[in-house]
Amino acid sequence: MDVLVFIQGDMTTKSKLSLLAIILLIFFGAFYFSLQTKLKNDDLVMINKMLPAIKLQSLQDDSYVELPLQNKKNFYLINIWASWCVPCRQEHPLLMRLKKENNLAIYGINYKDNKSNAQKFLEELGNPYFFSGSDMDGSKAIEIGAYGVPETYLIDREGKIILKFIGPISNTNYEQIIQNIK
Amino acid sequence: MKKIFLTFFFINIFLSSVSLADDKQAIDIYKKIRCLVCQGQSLHDSNSDFAKDLKKIIKEKLDNKETDQQIYNYLTSRYGDWILLDTPVKQSTLLLWFIPIIVLIVGIIILFKRTVFEKSKLS
Amino acid sequence: MISSFGYYSLLTATLLSLLEIITYIKNYNQKNYVAHQFIFYKFSFYFIIISFILLIISFANSDFSIISVYENSHTAKPLFYKIAATWGNHEGSILLFILVISAYGYCFIISKRKIDNHLKATVVFIQNILLIIFLFFLLFTSNPFEKILPIPNEGLGLNPILQDPLLVIHPPFLYLGYVGFSLIFSLTLAALINNQFNIDWSKLAKNWIFLPWTFLTVGIGLGSFWAYYELGWGGYWFWDPVENASLMPWIAATALIHSVLVMEKTGKLFSWTAILALLTFILSLFGTFLVRSGVLNSVHAFANDPERGLYILIIISLLAFVSLSLFIIKIPKQTNENHFTFLSRENVIVINNYFLIFFLTVVIIGTTYPILLAAIVGKSISVGPQYYNSILAPFVFIFLLLMATGPFMKWKQSAFFYYKNIFISFLLLSVFIVTTLAVLLQQFNPLFLLGILTSCYLIISTFVDIFYKKNFKLIVTNLSRFFSHLGFAILILSITLNYFFSKELTTNIKLGENIAFDQFSIQFKDSKTKNESNYQELFGTFNIKNENMLIELHPSIRKYIQPSQFTSETSIKNNGMSDYYMAMDYSSVQSEGIGIRFYYNYFIRGIWLSFILITLGGCISFYTRRYDNKI
Repeated sequence: MDVLVFIQGDMTTKSKLSLLAIILLIFFGAFYFSLQTKLKNDDLVMINKMLPAIKLQSLQDDSYVELPLQNKKNFYLINIWASWCVPCRQEHPLLMRLKKENNLAIYGINYKDNKSNAQKFLEELGNPYFFSGSDMDGSKAIEIGAYGVPETYLIDREGKIILKFIGPISNTNYEQIIQNIK
Repeated sequence: MKKIFLTFFFINIFLSSVSLADDKQAIDIYKKIRCLVCQGQSLHDSNSDFAKDLKKIIKEKLDNKETDQQIYNYLTSRYGDWILLDTPVKQSTLLLWFIPIIVLIVGIIILFKRTVFEKSKLS
Repeated sequence: MISSFGYYSLLTATLLSLLEIITYIKNYNQKNYVAHQFIFYKFSFYFIIISFILLIISFANSDFSIISVYENSHTAKPLFYKIAATWGNHEGSILLFILVISAYGYCFIISKRKIDNHLKATVVFIQNILLIIFLFFLLFTSNPFEKILPIPNEGLGLNPILQDPLLVIHPPFLYLGYVGFSLIFSLTLAALINNQFNIDWSKLAKNWIFLPWTFLTVGIGLGSFWAYYELGWGGYWFWDPVENASLMPWIAATALIHSVLVMEKTGKLFSWTAILALLTFILSLFGTFLVRSGVLNSVHAFANDPERGLYILIIISLLAFVSLSLFIIKIPKQTNENHFTFLSRENVIVINNYFLIFFLTVVIIGTTYPILLAAIVGKSISVGPQYYNSILAPFVFIFLLLMATGPFMKWKQSAFFYYKNIFISFLLLSVFIVTTLAVLLQQFNPLFLLGILTSCYLIISTFVDIFYKKNFKLIVTNLSRFFSHLGFAILILSITLNYFFSKELTTNIKLGENIAFDQFSIQFKDSKTKNESNYQELFGTFNIKNENMLIELHPSIRKYIQPSQFTSETSIKNNGMSDYYMAMDYSSVQSEGIGIRFYYNYFIRGIWLSFILITLGGCISFYTRRYDNKI
């Protein structure tokens, strides 16, 4: 029954003690590292993967866009937003700057929103989007691996996801985006 | 969600045997998926918006005759293995599944070696 | 004012404990233990009680000059929950932790049993060292009396999910359980150091295992019951890492109870018993680490802090190293100690001990694997209930059969007390019951059949075992086994029945709507709101129809004011051993109606009954063994 004795056979006391010390050091080291990491959603799963194909119906009219883009000319941004989402208002000025100062095409996905509220939001705060698509049932967001609003994805020319931000983008995130599209 | 429910209810009345079987399959899948925006709940246990949306998508995929495995692949390719509560056997989980088996086998060997077999005196 | 008193009484307690250690070392050199009265230890215990009471008073008075009160209490909260908030937070719970270590040492000192002075002094010495380690941890990392300036007018409140009468008593029981294993840890180390680890030790040790084991059983039972009615997910055990953290020492202690028995009766299994005794407390500390350090993702997540986690990790590693090193150096060498006759009672116990270790391994691996994988490889994976169920289930059945067989065997020889035919008749009776149940309930799943068969077999055999005893005294001495084994059999029976016959539905429902599924129909009849001092409540009235039976359930949603949070209150009504169970969810989209979760929990009350029986077994054992032979 005594597993230790069985495995070690006729080990001397000294070697048993060193074995114990080694085992406990490994134990300590492993859990020491675990203190630095937290078990949580794996935010990086979609990074460096091709953007899954989605068809965005326009928020305003009958036109639509199919992502990822086929022309492979420029980087572009996908931003999931809603008029009822408070943090979206927080990141809105940064999106406007990305459009105006950096000439970045932003594809908005309007998440589970009311159309007139969404229009009002854009009229009030400005429209940063090159194209505003609608996602009434949240299925488009899940298709690209989102958890909720707001989320932002930077897509490269080939249609690969390079950056993904969960929650409102910060100034640091803004710099990151600019770094990548240069 | 309401729509699914109504269709479910509707079909239930007319084609009860078929739809019940389908629904059991869906529930089995929901129970094996983590609700990512909740704390430790499965999709089945949760009424959060995220859970509802995901359930709807899974239901649609089942209606399109996709297999369970295809659905799991779809989910893990977007959200990682974290979403699977029912841990798959793969390279990263080999030790998780095999350490207990090793402990079991080593234990049986030890027990066997330590046993003295003598004729039992059943009265 | 009070906070300063509390802090200084903690400092005094630490000082007194240090003095006790100095006294011990001085006496140790003089080999003079007779006169030792443990005065310093006793007074250190009194000062810890004082500081704990002062903390309770601060919480009751909402003294927001203390950070832990400010962060975890609120004036709008009922007094009962203000007091409970004392141990509902990290700092206060560590103080409770210390109080329990100290109290166990105190009980050991004042216990009537005659114990060798030398051993007694060493046990108190080691218990005292544990006490000081955690006192330092408390004073340096988690001072419960730390002040805040300027003094806030209002507190931040306690998580509403924790505002529950059961949760007020659940943590103290849990602590009396797993922190209580500190004494058996000290007892083992002391015996090893003094070369007194022998059969007499095993007689002394038994009580100090049964006591915390019983508390831990109650603690786990209460926790499970709380999760059942409070979380609103319909289940009673989720294999959640925090639940597993309390299960680990419980399994180790259960194995220890049985291995101590073998040690006492046969003089074998010395080193195995020593390892289990040390491991039980180390696993308790490891559980504390998992819960407090923030490495887990869990519903029960405690306020956590990696820095504190590091301290606990260092404490565990050092204690494990010192204690296991002492074990390696001091364990008495025995010949032939681990060889067992095939059909002897001790061999059956050893096999089941081994199964318990297997269960323990599965729980430890399942709980820590995702943490370690994330730390080392950086990949997050989940280990859900399916993992534990699929690995554990087949072996639980064999485990039950051996539990049923062991008591009919004699110690040290291959012999049964009764005729072989009696086992065959048990088996036939169980097969008959299973066949009847399977036909009646129309369920032929092999797992179901095996679960019912083995648990019925164990139930029958425990009854036969107790009623065949020759005289009253033998019945009394075996009563604790009767209750705890019967309890375990009913637990597995209930789990099996519950697993196969429960029904559930998660959906949205509108006022007046009627939903039918399986043999049930659910009608949303009415809803109304109510205002309480610290929350608003929305009640729903639902009519559940099961064939000819009509049941009305009133689940509700509470919106708490401070902290602003929604909770869902379940409504449960029973029909015999089964429960009708419903919870509502807050829905952001009003037009979709309200989210409900309905569960028909088959035979769930059998699970609570089994907890009561197992606990009863523990209590009886503690009571009947009080006057056992003296060391």
